[in-house]
Amino acid sequence: MYEINRRQAMVAVGAFLALAACSSDGDSGGKKSGDGFAANRDGAMADYGVGTQFKATAPLSFSILYNNHPFYPIKNDWLFWSELKKRTNVTLQPNVVPLSDYENKRSLLIGAGDAPMIIPKTYPGQETPFVASGAVLPVSDYLDLMPNFKEKVAKWNLQPDLDTLRQADGRFYVLPGLHEDYWVDYTMAVRADVLDKLGLEIPQTWDDVHTVLKAIKEEHPDSYPFSDRWGTVSTPGGALMNYLGTGYGAPWGWGYTNGVMWDPTAQKFAYVGAMDQFKQALQFLNTLVTEKLLDPESFTQQDDQAIQKLVSGKSFAISTNAQTLVNEYRPPLKKADPKARLIKIPVPIGPLGPIKAGSNTTRLENGVMISKKARDSKNFVAMMQFIDWLWYSDEGQVFAKWGVEGTTYTKDSSGKFQLAKDVDFVGLNPGAPKHLQKDFGFSNGVFAYGGSTELLQSTFSDEEIEFQKTMNARKALPVAPPHPLTDEEREQASLYETPLKDHVSQNMLNFILGKRSFDEWDAYVKELEAKNVSSYMNLVNGAYERYKKEHG
Amino acid sequence: MVTVDRTRGYRVFRVVNAIILTGVVVVTVYPFVNIVARSLSDEFAIRAGKVNLVPVGFTFRTYEFVASDPTFWTNYRNTVVYTVVATAIAMVMTTCYAYVLSKKHLKGRTFLIGIAVFTMFFSGGLIPNYILISSLGLKDSIWAIVLPNAVSVFNLLVMKAFFEGLPTELEEAAAIDGMSTYGILLRIVLPLSKAVLATMVLFYAVSFWNSWFAAFLYMSQNDLFPVTVYLRNLIAGATTGTSVGADATDMTVATNIKSVTMVLTVIPILVVYPFVQRYFVKGVMLGAVKG
Repeated sequence: MYEINRRQAMVAVGAFLALAACSSDGDSGGKKSGDGFAANRDGAMADYGVGTQFKATAPLSFSILYNNHPFYPIKNDWLFWSELKKRTNVTLQPNVVPLSDYENKRSLLIGAGDAPMIIPKTYPGQETPFVASGAVLPVSDYLDLMPNFKEKVAKWNLQPDLDTLRQADGRFYVLPGLHEDYWVDYTMAVRADVLDKLGLEIPQTWDDVHTVLKAIKEEHPDSYPFSDRWGTVSTPGGALMNYLGTGYGAPWGWGYTNGVMWDPTAQKFAYVGAMDQFKQALQFLNTLVTEKLLDPESFTQQDDQAIQKLVSGKSFAISTNAQTLVNEYRPPLKKADPKARLIKIPVPIGPLGPIKAGSNTTRLENGVMISKKARDSKNFVAMMQFIDWLWYSDEGQVFAKWGVEGTTYTKDSSGKFQLAKDVDFVGLNPGAPKHLQKDFGFSNGVFAYGGSTELLQSTFSDEEIEFQKTMNARKALPVAPPHPLTDEEREQASLYETPLKDHVSQNMLNFILGKRSFDEWDAYVKELEAKNVSSYMNLVNGAYERYKKEHG
Repeated sequence: MVTVDRTRGYRVFRVVNAIILTGVVVVTVYPFVNIVARSLSDEFAIRAGKVNLVPVGFTFRTYEFVASDPTFWTNYRNTVVYTVVATAIAMVMTTCYAYVLSKKHLKGRTFLIGIAVFTMFFSGGLIPNYILISSLGLKDSIWAIVLPNAVSVFNLLVMKAFFEGLPTELEEAAAIDGMSTYGILLRIVLPLSKAVLATMVLFYAVSFWNSWFAAFLYMSQNDLFPVTVYLRNLIAGATTGTSVGADATDMTVATNIKSVTMVLTVIPILVVYPFVQRYFVKGVMLGAVKG
């Protein structure tokens, strides 16, 4: 482990040096998109637009960084590649990187100036360290080349979401995946058969959850009814602190966004760890722990341990998403106890009322960065059109997700997608000889994400669609306005942020587990003060004010 | 053989020693047995936490499943090729360098040692190394893996100390009988150095077998990776994938598949150990005492 950390440190230092070395020529691509593309139109279509099938006028090939998933390792004979070539006249040249170390290799390649043209699987925020180097393209300057992207942003009203990506110069450097609607996936799973036996309703609010857990505890006094997973030392209670915290208005865990939360009434950002709502969320969890309803190990145990407790009937509730429910919980549970019925409940409602509280507080997905050097390629325009078609057009998204009609899927008269009989995917056709991801290369995380709700839900089970209906009926939280920091500020901010985050996470556990009394809350907030929480918030709010003044 | 005087203290020492060492053995062997048991078990039994030392729901199906993945075997073959070639090159380079350094009359000897030792403490850094390897055109070839790590300074120093310990008179005698420098090295010194050579082969082979970082850096095709990268992606990749709350349609790889892959990867190097082991202690010790 030490070795890797040292290497990671070296990547970071190296990247920093490389950035410093080439930041002087960062202004070469600063020209706004007029018609500076005369030399870059080789292979591009003159009449490309929404609804047009992109096909390069000459055979082209683009290099791409490829995130190799162990579940469906890359194969050169995938139908995806050949069909892509047939439809678009484009061959992709993948630089294959194991998923386990994708981010390290990406930093290295960008730092060494050897990055492929197309760099997908970049989550919003991850592009920031590369901005100052001038190694990645400010894609916001070139959106005119991408009609499908623009159309989706307008149709789904994504401009405010997109604005959150802007850097201090007012541009953004990553093309995010776009979702039509918020997609709530993570929530709590409970044993419905146990609820039935005790004559309990499915809990709607967190208070209901409390009541239900209490009733289960009475029936099974030697158990912890709720034993959770997805906790690590760095992000204790990853999923739970997110969906519970969001319901209270103070997300932590996976919902951690630099520790700040937009307060629409005060029109400024506040630090989550010092908020009263955060305290309330912790108090709720503390009650569960004191009444022995929530397993104190929930925040730190291995996922496997939590699953084992659930399967062996020592616990009755756990965090879940649609896939883990079907793949990891139900099959072993069925074997251990054929009568067990585990269901995914709508995210319990907190003090904020019915909101779309889940792992995605934004409708943006991971997306594509583009190397700056691509701008000088004679195929630049064609490449942007190609990206626009594959990742953002309706046809491209259906192709990447479902494959080829007649071969991997069929569509009935009502427009419902159906997998071909001999093809399996997420357990829809169990026992089928071929697999949509492994054998054909479709529904590949590198190419297929985002899109319309209809497309997203086309692979969902009826039960999951029901869950989505309930969640979609709730209201969305307002999107936080952009507050991009300058390079210096970012450095300063991370010096403030890291110790604060550690302190909050550590004390969060102390408060929840009862090792620290809530009488000491004020003292705790003072400790945050001593760790410069005000300076940090001034920095963030200052950036917000500045951006508002400069860019409206 | 003279029996050691069995004092009370000595007997106590032996008992305590045996207990501690047994503890060490259990701690070391337990995880391995556990992995083997998992690899032979039914997946549901593992999920339910029933598998410990004995397989539950005994099955070879997982082995069949892993063995049917062509990428696994391609990568496995790569590992074997990389290890063999890299070890061969490393042995030639290290032996020659160490032999030269062991000669006290060599001019500039301190400087040559200094060059080597310098690299133990300072390196060019990751990105400069990457740029160097790619400008040399070594990327995506076996040379990117076998050349940059050809001389391990630690091994070099151990070997140098060993050579210094050989009696100079032997070499002088051979020289008087008309042997060339290379003749002395090949016919006199190396046959006397089997212990250290075996140790070095083992050191190098194990480290090349286990290494994944160089391949990860310099290879960009799936069929060029060694099996360690395959394994790492299987284990680390699947876990980090879920822990960041990633796209939920991405599946994790079953535990028993991971176990089978681990077992298959470890076996060859495990098999080599007993054969080389008898030289092992002797080789390292000899160098260390004289060094």
